[in-house]
Amino acid sequence: MAHVVTPLDQPSNYKDSQTRVDRQKQNELLSKSTTLYVGNLSFYTTEEQIYELFTKCASPDDGGGIKRIIMGLDRNTRTPCGFCFVEYYTHTEALASMRYVSGTKLDERIIRCDLDLGYKEGRQFGRGKSGGQVRDEHRQDYDPGRGGWGAQAQRLEIERRREVEERYADAQDGPGAVAGGGGDWKEAETAAPESKLKRERSPDDEGDNTRLGQRARIDEDLEGERM
Amino acid sequence: MSYERRGHGGGNRRRYRDDYDDRRREVQESPEERIRNVIIKFGEVDAVEEIPRLEKQIREHEPLNVSNLSEAFRIGVTEQPYKIPYYATLLRVLYERPEGDTTEGAPLGRLILEDFWKGFQAYLDKLAWRETRLCIHFFAHLTTAKLISADSMTALLQSFTAVLDEFGVSHGRAKRAALCAGEGLIIGGPTLKSHSSASADEIIAAIQAYNDTTATQQWLVSPTTKMSSTTVSNENAHELLDTLLSALSTLNENDFADTDNCFPRPYVNFVDLEVEAYNLPSVLVPPEIIELDSLSPDSGEDTQVKKEEWPEFYLRLFPNDISPDPSSPAGYIVRTALLDIIEIFEVNRKECARLLLEYPKWNLPGTFKPKPGATVELEPVAGKDWQLESTIFETVLGAYFLLPEAQQKSIYYIGLITELCKLSPSTVGPAVGKSIRKLYGSLSEGLDVEVARRFAEWFAVHMSNFGFQWVWKEWVPDLALTVQHPRRAFMRRAIEFEIRLSYHDRILKTLPEPMQTPEAYTIAEQAPGPAFEYDDPSKPHHDAAQSILNLFRGRAKAEDVVTHLDTLRSTLESSEDVGLNVDATVRSITVQSLLNIGSRSFSHLLNAIERYLPLLRHLASGGVSSTGGNGIPEAKADILTAAAAFWKYNRQMVGIVFDKLMQYQIVDPTDVVGWTFLNGAVIGQLSELAGPMNLSAFEWDLLKGALDKANGRVMIARRKVTVLRKEDDDNRARVKASENESMEVDTDAKQEATVDSPALTTALKAFSSLTREQKAALSRTLEGFISSLAPSASDANPNPHTRTVIADGAWENRDTWGRDEWNAWETWGWYRQFCRVYSPYLRTYSTTLYTVSFSRFDGASNPAAELLKKIWNIAIGQEA
Repeated sequence: MAHVVTPLDQPSNYKDSQTRVDRQKQNELLSKSTTLYVGNLSFYTTEEQIYELFTKCASPDDGGGIKRIIMGLDRNTRTPCGFCFVEYYTHTEALASMRYVSGTKLDERIIRCDLDLGYKEGRQFGRGKSGGQVRDEHRQDYDPGRGGWGAQAQRLEIERRREVEERYADAQDGPGAVAGGGGDWKEAETAAPESKLKRERSPDDEGDNTRLGQRARIDEDLEGERM
Repeated sequence: MSYERRGHGGGNRRRYRDDYDDRRREVQESPEERIRNVIIKFGEVDAVEEIPRLEKQIREHEPLNVSNLSEAFRIGVTEQPYKIPYYATLLRVLYERPEGDTTEGAPLGRLILEDFWKGFQAYLDKLAWRETRLCIHFFAHLTTAKLISADSMTALLQSFTAVLDEFGVSHGRAKRAALCAGEGLIIGGPTLKSHSSASADEIIAAIQAYNDTTATQQWLVSPTTKMSSTTVSNENAHELLDTLLSALSTLNENDFADTDNCFPRPYVNFVDLEVEAYNLPSVLVPPEIIELDSLSPDSGEDTQVKKEEWPEFYLRLFPNDISPDPSSPAGYIVRTALLDIIEIFEVNRKECARLLLEYPKWNLPGTFKPKPGATVELEPVAGKDWQLESTIFETVLGAYFLLPEAQQKSIYYIGLITELCKLSPSTVGPAVGKSIRKLYGSLSEGLDVEVARRFAEWFAVHMSNFGFQWVWKEWVPDLALTVQHPRRAFMRRAIEFEIRLSYHDRILKTLPEPMQTPEAYTIAEQAPGPAFEYDDPSKPHHDAAQSILNLFRGRAKAEDVVTHLDTLRSTLESSEDVGLNVDATVRSITVQSLLNIGSRSFSHLLNAIERYLPLLRHLASGGVSSTGGNGIPEAKADILTAAAAFWKYNRQMVGIVFDKLMQYQIVDPTDVVGWTFLNGAVIGQLSELAGPMNLSAFEWDLLKGALDKANGRVMIARRKVTVLRKEDDDNRARVKASENESMEVDTDAKQEATVDSPALTTALKAFSSLTREQKAALSRTLEGFISSLAPSASDANPNPHTRTVIADGAWENRDTWGRDEWNAWETWGWYRQFCRVYSPYLRTYSTTLYTVSFSRFDGASNPAAELLKKIWNIAIGQEA
């Protein structure tokens, strides 16, 4: 246990280099994070392959599951560039991925996972000079899974490449470009509002009607904090 | 270094946080931490050799801090149980008086032991069973080392057997208490038995008496089953308490003389000390926290669903000369030690793999075959000399295949095996192959359907980590078996899972030619793409679908699409196509078109659904906008049918779409359950496999997805209620406190104190809606199984073999079984899994569910109904 070996679910030195959140706030967010950064993916790996592996860390009977997957794309070509974010509904699931999946293979490459501060707009795009990830900017080796293709590349890879190039041609940026994945269960919207209490309410009281609005506000605040 | 990781003791937390960026930096250790770490790391090279130096270090450490030292012992004992005999030896050494020491008072070892006891008491108080049990191991060794009195040790073990006599004791509690008492007796046996032979016999008898009451439970979780008979075969699997008892009885026969042959006892030849043995204080095992109404839909108090505990069957894969028989004393010790390592080091699978492979150094020499190329020549010990890798595999897989559920997620065990293979490919590799072949072979011997499903999952993920290199050729002859034979079902399933992790062409290439052909029904004919029914211009409704697609492509507003659908509906109604179900057709065209827009990826799917949520709600409500948010069942079934048809070549996507339709509250879990029993078997199957109503692993996954969703929602709602109720209570307490301070009593405030806050009221309301849905989903599942397995004449497409496969002698003739027999057999298997894995939930509603689903069979003689009821009764604890 924790005294004898280091658990694999500790945050590493991975960080979002462009975040403007201070260290303490970052740690706080990481200690509750439901999002993973997944790196060293093949450019050809699909979201469904990622889903298949990461769903094995999900705990649906505990209210969890995969909320969404955000594929990292080349800024210019809108093609996958070898990373993604996997967002769960619970923190425990993100930790499970760190323990059990990080360092294993997906699509025949060893992938690495890190707890992430949470997706925010624009982070789906590569930050390298030519549009992909910075690491591929300076890479010396030949890596058929990460754009190092050419005459020697296998026929199958070329076939997959064609599909991949078309898939995200429609990718948008800006607000609302990325789906949320579905939130917590809510009472059906047509439900009649609760009859009001006779007593005059204090400002702190929340009725059924305002409750959903309140939730949304909280969510926005959280998003704001992540910026 | 790693010692502080979890901020132990609170003081380290801040420092850890500041350092997290650079974990590799040396952390400054305080002298106290340093001595603790030395004790924790003790024995890594050679425990016996290290003792004198460590003893000196401990004695010279100033100032003396006994509780710091005893904490190090506690961590050592509870987190590295394989070192316990050596910690016992170290403590024994600390009892000696160093030369020239003339101080009065208790020796250091004694002080540490007394403080250690306090830690044990704390573990026991919070019912930390594993820690409690491992401390008992330590005490048992110390009893043999004569540091603890045999009398008090016997009394300690008896307080655990007393648990077995508690009225209505849960199996989980009884099992753990029995392990504490039994393992304490195995280790301390030589001393305890010679002290009081009768007490040793009594402890064994108490465990035996309890174990005798678990026979029917055993039947329900045994990993191989004949369905037709209730006898449990111990040929391929061993139950944990059974093995404990048989190890104990064997040892007891010759007064525990054989313990010498089971584990190291480095302290045993020390000269007797002239100190009084420590008398362990007497203890009472505290009762479990009583969970009144723990799942009652009305209370919402509790946050945990208590998993039901079952007897634990561990599959046996190898003969006794390859891996130890866990029902022999030495085998039991090995098995338990490995299982403890697997559980304790779950936080780090890589370290866990290393420690498993290093295990032989903690057991007696000659227990395992030496590593290839080992320099030290050892005489093999007769009856031992086992293969380490096979033993580890049998244990890891045994833990992975526990029914109804493993302790940890499947992927942990799978990842652990991957690490084992990476550490020592040449020795571990062959063990993988042997395990797979053995498991594959047992598929035709009644291997439980859930075990078979997990086997396929492990197989696929494992192959995904090792280049998909499996010699499929050796299974080609099995293509002659009937198409639903468990072996063929396994091949199909494993290949489907492999494709999900990889891609169709890649996996197709790994198969020998006879398996590639469509007639082999082994791999899907084509890559798992979408199947948009209206894509082909020659198909009906092609144009209608195109116009909807264009609206979606142009990002038309949802309400505009709704308007367009009204037009489409009237067009279809006035068409000449008599007998056309217009509503169903409109739903199918719309949903398939929307899925087509979202077919490029999971994200595209989410975007499509999210953009057109109002449209989907409109469809689910049957087009009547005033029908509340819950929709009408027929419309929702149509939506599911359209989704399943669209993704008929990609069953992974069927599961994903269903999950998100539930998440976005377009359909409810009950809808998915109902749909699965009516339609599941015909979707996405190779046409040859369709047949009368049945459930295979795919349909089970859909059911499980729906039930878990329903249960998970209740869990979230319950947590919310708990938090809000606590807030409410705190507020009330505050109001009360202020009332008492200022004697002015505000009548309004007083009233407030008795009314729940609106937030809590809302949460309670949500909680009760969700428990209703949970109950409905469970009830629909039970109904589905009953109409599949004991169909009445009016049920659609019944499988006549649900009765024949459970008849006496049917199993022995399984060579003659065809597709429908195996389908029926598998459906029975999933019913068993449903009952045992969801039993905590089923128990909550057992009375209603029984009345609704089983009372119709009262008085009738129907073997299928009898078996259904029998399984049900065991699962909900109505049958002893």
